[in-house]
Amino acid sequence: MSSFNLDVYMPVVILITLALLVAGGSMLLGSIIRPHHPNQLKETAYECGEEPIGTAWANFNVRFYVIALIFIIFDVESALMFPVAAVFKHFNEIGLGGTLLISIFTFTLILVAGIVYCWKKGDLDWVKSFNAPSTQQVNALSKDK
Amino acid sequence: MTIGGAVAVVYSHNLMHACLYLLASLFGVAGLYAVIGADFLAATQLVVYAGGVVILMLFAIMLTGGTGNRINRYGLEKIASMGNKKTYFFAGFAAIITSLILLKIIASVLRAQPTNKVLAANDVTVNKLGVLLATDHILAFEISSVLLLGALIGAAVISRPRKERHD
Amino acid sequence: MNSTVVTYLSQSKEFTNTVAALSKALGFDATSLVAFVIFFIGALIVVGALATIGGLGTYAERKISADLQMRQGPNRVGPYGILQFLADGVKMILKEDIIPAQADRFTFILAPFLCMIGVFATLAVVPFSSGLMLSDINVGVFYLVGMASLVGVGVFLGGYSSNSKWSMLGGMRGASQIISYEIPATITIVSIVLIAGGLSFKTLINGQGGLPHEWYLLHNPFAFIGFFVYFIAALAETNRAPFDLPEAESELVSGYHTEYSGMRFGLFALAEYIEVFVVCGVAVALFLGGYKVPFDLGSGHIFTEKLGLDSMLAQNIGQVLELGAFFTKTLLLYYVVIWVRWTLPRLRVDQLMTLCWKYLTPIALFNLLGMAVWMYAFDGKSIYSIIFNSAVSAAGHH
Repeated sequence: MSSFNLDVYMPVVILITLALLVAGGSMLLGSIIRPHHPNQLKETAYECGEEPIGTAWANFNVRFYVIALIFIIFDVESALMFPVAAVFKHFNEIGLGGTLLISIFTFTLILVAGIVYCWKKGDLDWVKSFNAPSTQQVNALSKDK
Repeated sequence: MTIGGAVAVVYSHNLMHACLYLLASLFGVAGLYAVIGADFLAATQLVVYAGGVVILMLFAIMLTGGTGNRINRYGLEKIASMGNKKTYFFAGFAAIITSLILLKIIASVLRAQPTNKVLAANDVTVNKLGVLLATDHILAFEISSVLLLGALIGAAVISRPRKERHD
Repeated sequence: MNSTVVTYLSQSKEFTNTVAALSKALGFDATSLVAFVIFFIGALIVVGALATIGGLGTYAERKISADLQMRQGPNRVGPYGILQFLADGVKMILKEDIIPAQADRFTFILAPFLCMIGVFATLAVVPFSSGLMLSDINVGVFYLVGMASLVGVGVFLGGYSSNSKWSMLGGMRGASQIISYEIPATITIVSIVLIAGGLSFKTLINGQGGLPHEWYLLHNPFAFIGFFVYFIAALAETNRAPFDLPEAESELVSGYHTEYSGMRFGLFALAEYIEVFVVCGVAVALFLGGYKVPFDLGSGHIFTEKLGLDSMLAQNIGQVLELGAFFTKTLLLYYVVIWVRWTLPRLRVDQLMTLCWKYLTPIALFNLLGMAVWMYAFDGKSIYSIIFNSAVSAAGHH
């Protein structure tokens, strides 16, 4: 029997199906035995009252996006590193470890340079909370008084 | 699942739902990779695409508020559901294709035939990829890191907020 | 090599007998059908066991936190309150299912399902023991990372679909937390793959031995640091204290949980507890020697040699020992997780992100490079073998 067979993915498929069954089944079970009295009040969102400041909102979303972008880049980097890491041991044994080491170093250091750049330029900073004014605003406000 | 999902992406009116069909489609692609034996590629697909790119797109949608003028995010209007007939049709199509792939896996189980699309079955894909990356394609490996660096810096520069000068 | 539960069981006589009998009865080669049935039963057992562990996790958490806070935890339902999680489950099913009027129905319903699918799919590769893993996919650990990121999508969708400003913010923060901490975790996993030479869990665990000095944890100082980096990053990835800002927001303000009531919320919570267990299991497999039992008892050879038992029976005993080792180590880590939650205060969101990008990621990258240098310089030997060998050769000179 060839060592390549799809059987090994069988548990994955079964487990995903089970997840759907368990989740769906419990929802169904609940829908039979639980009360269902929707009314206007229950269905409105939980309001906390405060409206966010318009510009602060937009300022925020960019931070999320930057983080997501940086994440993608490092994700791809680690995905590329995986095959190289997997054969590093083998290379070591046949004596070519040094060259592979240098290439791993180059690869990683280029990306470290990237993250250092982002760090220095302040892209990694997160704003505290959009209800608290930033330090510059506080200073500006106190200067006004 | 792949094709159905992809078509549903194009036809769906709600951008958020479109992202989710894309997720289904990417899952389908990962499954297809797995079926032909490229297991590392399948896992990479899952990690980078389904995990990363979909989140990126969802964030981008949030950023640009691109859900169209049917939906008022700050108001309490009901979001238009996916009642569009075309969406249902293509979702159904996606379901059919999903079940076909599942049937293929199950069928290989029931018939106990190794599928004929075997690529050098006895070696572990990851290791072969690694050897190739480290030897033949080492330049490509390093250049890809430079490319990633460029993407990183580009992303950082573009998304920097415009500083307002109060002076 | 891919190997599975079926590969292990196919060594036994009962398996071949069953297959032969079924083949005769059904007319075609029943190997794969039996394989399917075994997988199905195995998956059911795994899901059942882990759901119970998840439920008991809630109970354990309340008991342990009570202990840490000098009070009693739940002690009414069942002996010592152990059936509490069942009572909670029943309560959740019975609660009314409110879908807010302004919510996006499709994504609202889909979000907990995505979390559940992400977590359950990881169960396929968790290495419970060498023969009883559901399947040892060649890219095991990488696949697991991918499925865990699916949970992040589920969290975000949960926040978005509730369509209230606060839960959307909570969802976005939760998702960005999950994806940020995925990076140090994945990089640390890469550094362990460096030592082990493969991505499948079997390869990773076979590189370690049973006794602590053979674990990767104590293999070299970089792996030691790597363990803590991985542990912290994985804790943060599961939205678990002290990184539970997305959840805590639901206590304080709102979070991605808010609009979810009853069983839907229960699904989120169950997914989280099972994910914590899986993450602890992965940490054990990568750093603490997985299911390896000291003195190589797990492979059953000793039983065959010393006690003269039948080979399959000896292997079964070995498997049980391995299961025991795995669960002991994982549950110990789980205890540490709960302990950490009730001891440390919660991190603010900017502290969270700073910790990840300015501390953990550079440390993880440094670890990776250090590990590569170590592998090259010392030929992949652990610290103990180096000291031991140098001691032996020093002794040999006299």
